[in-house]
Amino acid sequence: MKGNLRDFSPTQLLSLISLAKKTGTLRVERSKGEAKLSFKNGKLIYAAIGDADGSLASVLARAGRITEAQASQLARHALRTGDKQLGLLLIQKGYVSQADIIHSFKRHGVASINYFAGWKEGWFEFFPDQGPDDARITVPLDLENLIIQIARIQKRDEQLEEEIPSLDVALKFSNRPNVKLSDLQLNRDEWQVLHYIKPENTIRMIARKLNMSDRQIRRAVGSLREAGLVELAHARRREKLTVEEKKQKRALVGRLIEHIQNIGAE
Amino acid sequence: MQIQTVKMVITGPFNSGKTAFVQSISEIDVVSTERAISTEAERIKSQTTVAMDFGRITVDDDLVLYLFGTPGQRRFDFMWEILSQGMLGFVVMVDSTRPETFREAKSILETFRAYAPTPYVVAANKQDLPDAWSVEDLRVALRLDPEIKMLPCVATDRESVKAVLLELLYSILEEMEEELYE
Repeated sequence: MKGNLRDFSPTQLLSLISLAKKTGTLRVERSKGEAKLSFKNGKLIYAAIGDADGSLASVLARAGRITEAQASQLARHALRTGDKQLGLLLIQKGYVSQADIIHSFKRHGVASINYFAGWKEGWFEFFPDQGPDDARITVPLDLENLIIQIARIQKRDEQLEEEIPSLDVALKFSNRPNVKLSDLQLNRDEWQVLHYIKPENTIRMIARKLNMSDRQIRRAVGSLREAGLVELAHARRREKLTVEEKKQKRALVGRLIEHIQNIGAE
Repeated sequence: MQIQTVKMVITGPFNSGKTAFVQSISEIDVVSTERAISTEAERIKSQTTVAMDFGRITVDDDLVLYLFGTPGQRRFDFMWEILSQGMLGFVVMVDSTRPETFREAKSILETFRAYAPTPYVVAANKQDLPDAWSVEDLRVALRLDPEIKMLPCVATDRESVKAVLLELLYSILEEMEEELYE
C-alpha cells in the first residue's frame, strides 16, 4: 500500500488501517519532515513524527514530566539500556509512575495523529508486520473516535474556508453582540485576535502578527463570529469618480428607479 | 447613439429563486442555461442553472439594465468573479424555507463582498410559503448587521421583485450621498 497523501488523505489512510485492523508501520516522507507510525491490529502503538521521535525521554519531556536537560541525560542513558529498561528504572526510583508513562504516551499518540491529519502531501508506504524497534515502549491507542473527531474538525475547517473566503479583509466589532464581554470564555487565540481588531488590520495581518496559521486564525475568527462579537469589514474600495461622473451616475440610477417604479403601471 | 449598459447580479444558493427573480422582471424571455440536475442530493428541482441567467430591462433608447443570475451550485463558482466585474450592485437570494442553506447564503454573500465593494441587499425569498422564516429571524440566523437591507420577497411576483431592485438602487444612491460627506 503506497501512494501520495494528495490522492489519499491521512484521515482516509488511518481509517483504512483502523477498519482493516492492520499491523505494520506506515512511513511517510515529505519535504518538511517525515513520519513513522506503527500499528497493531489497527491500533496506533508507536509514533515518531517531525521532531517528536517517540522515545521515552522525548515523550516525558513533551508531557512536562521532565525538563529538557533531564530528557537529554535520559536519552543518552537510553542508548545503552533501551526505553523499556529506562522506564522500569524511572518507576523503581519513583520519578514517574507507570500510569504517568502510559498517559504521556497516549497523549503523544493523539498529538501525533492530529498533526499527521493536517498533512496535505507526502509519499507514504505501509510495511505490513513491521513494528518499531524492540527497545521502544509501545502503548496501544484506539483510533476510531480520534478519526471521527478529526473528520469533524476538518469539516468545520472547510466550512470556515467557505465562510471566510479571503483573509485580506478587516474585522469590526458587531453592533449587537449577543453576549456580555465579561461573560466571555474565549481561548488565548481569540483574545489575542480581539486585541488587534482595527479597521487597518486585515485578518492576514493579524495572523502574521500573532504567528498563527491560516487555519488557526480562521478558527479564532469563526468562533468570534459565532458568538456575534465580530463581523467581516470589507474594505470599501469605492471607485474614485470625478464630480461630473458622480453626477452622471446619480442621474443614471435615478432613471433606473423611475423606470422600474413604472414597470407594469402602463 | 451609443447604448449605455449597466449590470446587476442576482446570487444565492441552489434553488433560492434566482432564475424566477430574473424571469419575473425581465422584458425578454430569460436566456437561461439550465440543465437536468445530476447530483442525487440536489434533486429538489429537475433543472438548475449551470452558467448564468440573463435578463434585460430597457430603460430607454440609450440605457439598458442587464440582470445576471449566478449558477447556484458551488461547483460553478468559478463564474462568480467574472459575473461580478463591473456590477452596479447585487442581490443575495435566500430560500426562507430551507435553513440548511443559510450558511451557504452567508458564504456567498461574503464571497461577493470580497469580489466587489458595491452595495447589495438580501432578499428573503419564498415568504409566501407557510414554513418561511420571518425576515427578522433570518437576519439573526445570517448574522447580518442592522444596516444591511433585508427584504421579504416572492421571486415569482413582479411587484415583490421590483421592490427588491428599487431598494438596491436606493442603496446605491445612499452610498453616493454618503461619499459627498466624507
